[in-house]
Amino acid sequence: MSPPLPLLTAQGIAKSYGPVVALRSVDFAVAPGEVHALLGANGAGKSTLVKILAGVHPADAGQVFVAGRPVQFATPRAAIQAGIATVFQDPALIPDLTVDENLRLGPVDRQRFREGLDRFGLAHLDLDTRVRDLPLDLLRLVDLARAISREPRILLLDEITAALTADQAERVFELLQDWRQQGRAAVLITHRLAEVMRACDRATVLRDGQDVAVLDTQAVDEHRLIEAMLGQATQPVSSDLGSSRARSTLGPAVLQVEDLGWNQGVQGVSFQVREGEILGLVALEGQGQDRLFQLLAGQRSPTAGQIRIDGRPRRFRSPYDAVRAGVVLVPGDRQLAVLPSQSVHHNLALPLFHRLRRWMGIPPDEGRRVAEAIRRLAIDIRAGSQVRRLSGGNQQKVVIGRWLVGGFRVLLCFDPTRGIDIQTKREIYRLLRELAGAGASILLYTSELAEIPLVCDRVLVMHAGRIVDEQEAATATEASLLTAAHGLEVAP
Amino acid sequence: MNRSTLSAPPGARSRPSPGWRARLRAAVVEHPNGVLAGVLVLLVLLTGAIQPSYLSVNGMRNTLLQAAPLGILAGAQTILMLTGGIDLSITMIATAAAYVAANQSPEGAAVAILLGMGVGLVAGTANGIGVAVFRVNPLIMTLAMSGILLGLFTSWAQTVLQGSTTVAPFIKLVGGGSFLDNRIPYSVVVWGLLSLVLLWLLRRTGWGRLLYGVGDNEVAVYLAGIPVWLVRITAYTVAGILGAIAGILLAGRTGAVDLQLAGAFLLPSIAAAVIGGTSIFGGVGGYAGTILGALILSVLNSMLTFLNVGQAIQQMVYGAIVLALAWGYASLTRDPG
Amino acid sequence: MTGAALARGRTAMPRFLARHGWALGVWALLGLLLAWYSTLIPRFGQFQVVSITKNSLPLIYLAVGQAIIVIAGGIDLSLGGLLLLSNVVAARFMEGQPLGVALLLAVAILVGLALLNGLVGLVIHRSGMPDIVVTLATSYIWSGLALWILPSPGGGTAPEMRWLFTGSPSGIGGTWVTPGMMLALPVLAIYLVLRRTRLGLGLYAVGSHREAARLAGLDVARAKVAAYAFGGMLAGLAGLAMVALTGTGDPRFSVGANATLNSLAAVVLGGVALTGGAGSVIGAVAAAVILIMLNPILSAMGIDPNHAQVIQGALIAGVMMVGGLATILRERSS
Repeated sequence: MSPPLPLLTAQGIAKSYGPVVALRSVDFAVAPGEVHALLGANGAGKSTLVKILAGVHPADAGQVFVAGRPVQFATPRAAIQAGIATVFQDPALIPDLTVDENLRLGPVDRQRFREGLDRFGLAHLDLDTRVRDLPLDLLRLVDLARAISREPRILLLDEITAALTADQAERVFELLQDWRQQGRAAVLITHRLAEVMRACDRATVLRDGQDVAVLDTQAVDEHRLIEAMLGQATQPVSSDLGSSRARSTLGPAVLQVEDLGWNQGVQGVSFQVREGEILGLVALEGQGQDRLFQLLAGQRSPTAGQIRIDGRPRRFRSPYDAVRAGVVLVPGDRQLAVLPSQSVHHNLALPLFHRLRRWMGIPPDEGRRVAEAIRRLAIDIRAGSQVRRLSGGNQQKVVIGRWLVGGFRVLLCFDPTRGIDIQTKREIYRLLRELAGAGASILLYTSELAEIPLVCDRVLVMHAGRIVDEQEAATATEASLLTAAHGLEVAP
Repeated sequence: MNRSTLSAPPGARSRPSPGWRARLRAAVVEHPNGVLAGVLVLLVLLTGAIQPSYLSVNGMRNTLLQAAPLGILAGAQTILMLTGGIDLSITMIATAAAYVAANQSPEGAAVAILLGMGVGLVAGTANGIGVAVFRVNPLIMTLAMSGILLGLFTSWAQTVLQGSTTVAPFIKLVGGGSFLDNRIPYSVVVWGLLSLVLLWLLRRTGWGRLLYGVGDNEVAVYLAGIPVWLVRITAYTVAGILGAIAGILLAGRTGAVDLQLAGAFLLPSIAAAVIGGTSIFGGVGGYAGTILGALILSVLNSMLTFLNVGQAIQQMVYGAIVLALAWGYASLTRDPG
Repeated sequence: MTGAALARGRTAMPRFLARHGWALGVWALLGLLLAWYSTLIPRFGQFQVVSITKNSLPLIYLAVGQAIIVIAGGIDLSLGGLLLLSNVVAARFMEGQPLGVALLLAVAILVGLALLNGLVGLVIHRSGMPDIVVTLATSYIWSGLALWILPSPGGGTAPEMRWLFTGSPSGIGGTWVTPGMMLALPVLAIYLVLRRTRLGLGLYAVGSHREAARLAGLDVARAKVAAYAFGGMLAGLAGLAMVALTGTGDPRFSVGANATLNSLAAVVLGGVALTGGAGSVIGAVAAAVILIMLNPILSAMGIDPNHAQVIQGALIAGVMMVGGLATILRERSS
């Protein structure tokens, strides 16, 4: 049988952002009546491909076809008019306008929009609510309802289920089922392989900016998908970390947290981090871990409990106090930590000016300390005159390296390896182990459960604002951590 | 949208050899001040072509006399623009400082100058507190400060500050006098010294680094354990003091003060910093560019005066050139893609 | 889950207050000031109402124009220059002309300035230069052009224009009806355009979250051009009102610069955030009237008029400081 003419085809799509190559050359095709998954590890280029298909960015090379006709989108508007509706990770809704006003920004079929809301169980949503006041899951469903009300031929869904409850996700899959029967197409970008197996017909796997496989979900299993995504580098982080882990002679407690609380968000949190120890922290999204880090870093004042450093109680009214006490933060969002237009050198030297008496000059050992940090972290400074030009991994190294220059007692790392390539990830973990080996205390929140045993000494599990479990890192498994993170008892 | 780039075969993205535009872009990005200096020389020669006597010690001296207060005021704007701020009250601060200096001139030049600078210190710090602590938008805070100062000094001019409106001889000498056979104005020496201090502050001190940092990413500086509010307040204080110095120099040049003394310098002080490559959004720029910007605007002013075209055309040409320079800079330095 | 957001039960009233609270507060302040003013002077009647209305008109127009641009995420330092341009063209060419010609000229001025400033908006969008830099430069160009057209204060206007903006052909006394209408109609029209039409909502969208607006399929360039065109048109209207008010044209640079700064003050006092996307022109109108009214009120109280300037500045700074403090406290608690 001859395959039907694809609804959407991309040929040889390439895209670079400055020195960073996001897509090398991607071919991609979606048939009518197909739900197609787009898979790949972080940084494989999924989001970039979606942005090109949706007209957000122009491609450097390659051609997109809709129903066989070559198209080029100068703006997202052009893509919408060509019948491609996209639901982005960040909802394309205007925060200062109401839902109703957002709908009036463009052509929307009200009837169909209402039907869409009905499908998602939002029939009673008040359209006069300001978008700013709605939670993320509702926003994404509103965005989706608006997208389908435009009757597109192709629907692009970027991580649509990430913010949704299981029930809401289920309703989205039902929608996709109808969609398929109507002969339209949908592209689903997701990390959740179970969803791919369940809702998608085929999957295109991207790796390092190239399409490496197109798989039929009926014919393969999840392991095959993972293999395709990871390629040769199936080992998450090299095992050579194991050898450096053996040592760890732990000193006295450096950071002690006693019964710490912040309104309802963080409750009765107690733990300690000892000298030379890496304490892991694991939690599902939004369990109060970000608040906890803010309390420890001085961004917020706790409403209960206290923090001790070397046994002395400390009150942090601002990050200034925390840094003064030696507690420093590597925040989850790199954009909060880098000075994008400044050089690597100036970024690294920033903490040297923590004390006012340093403001009227430059410390004479600045150059040496910065060079040392660059060397230890192997920061690629070829594009170092502006940190914005560095790759994500290099930027993250700069953020961490800053504290090597500034010095610290306790390092708070919030998901430092998110969205970073495997090589850099490995380097960062090795550095953390080295620092701990030299006597630093590290609190590490990470969303990469598999890597906890490789890096940490102990792991805390947080759920609904409380510490619910503590495990030895060496014996912790993904399964045991996940179980605890869901607030369930871990079988002994 | 360029069709040819999209349909080019993948992998075969051959870059054409860089044309003049790309090379110019590279030159501007690498040496923005070199290009500005080129523009300055060009303007000086052009002015010389219009009025041959301009290319003389005397001609240069007049331009420099005008450039000195402008350069100092633009230095204040540069400091603030680096932090993402701006000061619309800077010329009113200058005027107020000059007023106090004139009024106190009978007490001696030293007292007069110090009290005048005190005005800048107080007003600048007040601006800083409003912006840094109360988070008032800098445009609005300094606009309000400008109104407050204007009102206060208009009223005080008839009451508490009644009396001398002429400045002490020493201030006159520094503001308008020259040495070495009437060749080099003292005010240019003052500007030169201040320039050295400013360049040192911005390049070789932690405070200068932090100005850039706060303008580039305030949150990052805050998280690095640095009191951002103090960086901001001190920036406005220093700007206020610079404004006061500029005002006293201006008063010295004109010999007497009135409430319109420095007003005409407000927009040029911002324009000089912008032309010099300092971003109004903060984090990018420096004082060297601003010096060139102030010189360019002063030469331009001389040129337009020599052309004798009348104030109307002067204003239009002035605006057009500022726009053209800013546009050229923006289009050449903008990240491609 | 999110019961509160889902429930229709939360009535429209608190939401209306949350959204328009600031503007309502400014109107309430204006009401209080008016009431106070009426007790300060021996007679408060039509004359005072006409006087306040007509004297406020130029600033109201300019503030509304500035508000539109600020809402769309920009800022325009050249509005005062455009005001001068409109002012001198009207003063130079309208004097002694029949009604038809004067009206035609007025329309030409409004359309011309809208096109001119729309072009500036396009330049800003295309060049990537900051709004403030471009409009700073164009403010010189427009002011110079105005000075070129009318080298010194002078010229005149058509009596009908005076009647339209001041309520009397001579500019003295007269009815409140026409200035009242000239206040209400354009403001209402602009308000409806901004809040009810796709174009107007697009301006809010671009100012609130430019990238989301683009992703939602909006034409960002068009919004920018439209905002600046509206601003130019309203500056033109302000210039016409100024000629009608004073009876002559005035090309002085300082007049334009002060008008620009006052428009900014009115916009911010009126609750339009300089960051864009929030606020409404209604608040800016009340703030403009307050700024104009301070002078007669303080003089009625026997306060040195120079202190009016101080009080105005302190009022602006004080109100914005309170607003800033409120924001800080809100952030602390969330």
